[in-house]
Amino acid sequence: MTSEMERLERLAERLRAVDPVMPSPGAKIRGWNLVLAAVEQSATVRSRTHPVRRLVLAAVAATVLLVAGAVAASADSLPDSALYPLKGVMENVRGALAFSPSDKLAYHLDLARTRLTEAEAMIARHRVDLADQALSSLDDQLNDAALLVQAEMTGDPALAASLENRLVQAIATHDQQLAGLQGQVTNPAAIAAITQARDRAAQALQTSNGKPSASPSNGKGPSTSPHPTPKH
Amino acid sequence: MQPLGKAASDDDRPLIERVRRGDQDAARILFERYFDRIYNYVYARLGRAEDAEDLAIDTMTRSLTRLDLFQDQGVAFSSWVYRIAHNATIDHYRRQGKATLVPLESATMPVSADPSELAVEQLSNEDLHEALRALTDEQQQVLILRFFQDLTAAQAAQIMGKSVGAVQALQHRALGSLERALHGRTNN
Repeated sequence: MTSEMERLERLAERLRAVDPVMPSPGAKIRGWNLVLAAVEQSATVRSRTHPVRRLVLAAVAATVLLVAGAVAASADSLPDSALYPLKGVMENVRGALAFSPSDKLAYHLDLARTRLTEAEAMIARHRVDLADQALSSLDDQLNDAALLVQAEMTGDPALAASLENRLVQAIATHDQQLAGLQGQVTNPAAIAAITQARDRAAQALQTSNGKPSASPSNGKGPSTSPHPTPKH
Repeated sequence: MQPLGKAASDDDRPLIERVRRGDQDAARILFERYFDRIYNYVYARLGRAEDAEDLAIDTMTRSLTRLDLFQDQGVAFSSWVYRIAHNATIDHYRRQGKATLVPLESATMPVSADPSELAVEQLSNEDLHEALRALTDEQQQVLILRFFQDLTAAQAAQIMGKSVGAVQALQHRALGSLERALHGRTNN
């Protein structure tokens, strides 16, 4: 009677003697063709997107998405929002892309309208400090627009007249809104800020005409400055 | 026994780098080096040439197109290929519910002069294959790697993710189980 070790060793030897089952030549050819096709496809994909380049592309895409999302979100942000500074950056970019006098005027008037909306929102939230900043910025935009009109008067009077008309209309609209706002608020600081904004808007109009500014403010009521009337 | 060709070695590394750069000649060399072995391994597990062919092709395709997943950190490329083949086999089992396995009862075993012993020399290859497929997954794997694939215990250990000692113990138990399976058949 043989020992277990001997029996198992004999069995192991018998297993070693089993002829290996080999694939048919056809199977091997088919296998290589399929593997080669997969390798070629894989190499093509890899060459298109090298790991490092893929990483860079992913990072760029993520950044673009992040920035695009933040920019989109900032477009409607208000001065008390964390995204508000980004809104200013994007507005500056827009300004840099406005080349013709007409486009530049549209840009300034659009920003003036935006600042006015922001001022109204800040007053509603009792943030007079931020409303004051928005109104001040509104006047800056109107003033820039007025200077633009003035600059065109010597070179292209017809164009200047057209621009001035748009400016007058915008200032009239703004003044109406400011007057309405002024009638709604009771906070003295807010009233003062609105009055000052109306006066400065009137000054901007005079600037566009090349006239000296003279626009007293009168406290709560509509500004006594020469309120703009659109030219038709 | 016919040699199955060179098993995994350090020679694979430069070829792997070439394949990673899109070198098809290097891919062909690795394919030639491993396809027969993997086919043999899978066939020993499944017993069906068609399935073995499909899984061997699938294994080589995955091995040569997913080299980005192969990290040469102490694990040989050959071990990685065998692991892919093993996983493919397990997946196949799951899909088929082991329906393709040949039942042990169909094997006809020779009888030795000593009733307590098997006439192992008289066992056909098919007898052994069929009895082998009645063992547990790990027992099949260790016997195929050690005796059909002629790998060392260390190589088998790396493929199976075990220590050399554990593989040797498993191999001993597997041979005992195989013997009992064969012996039980002769007594039926």
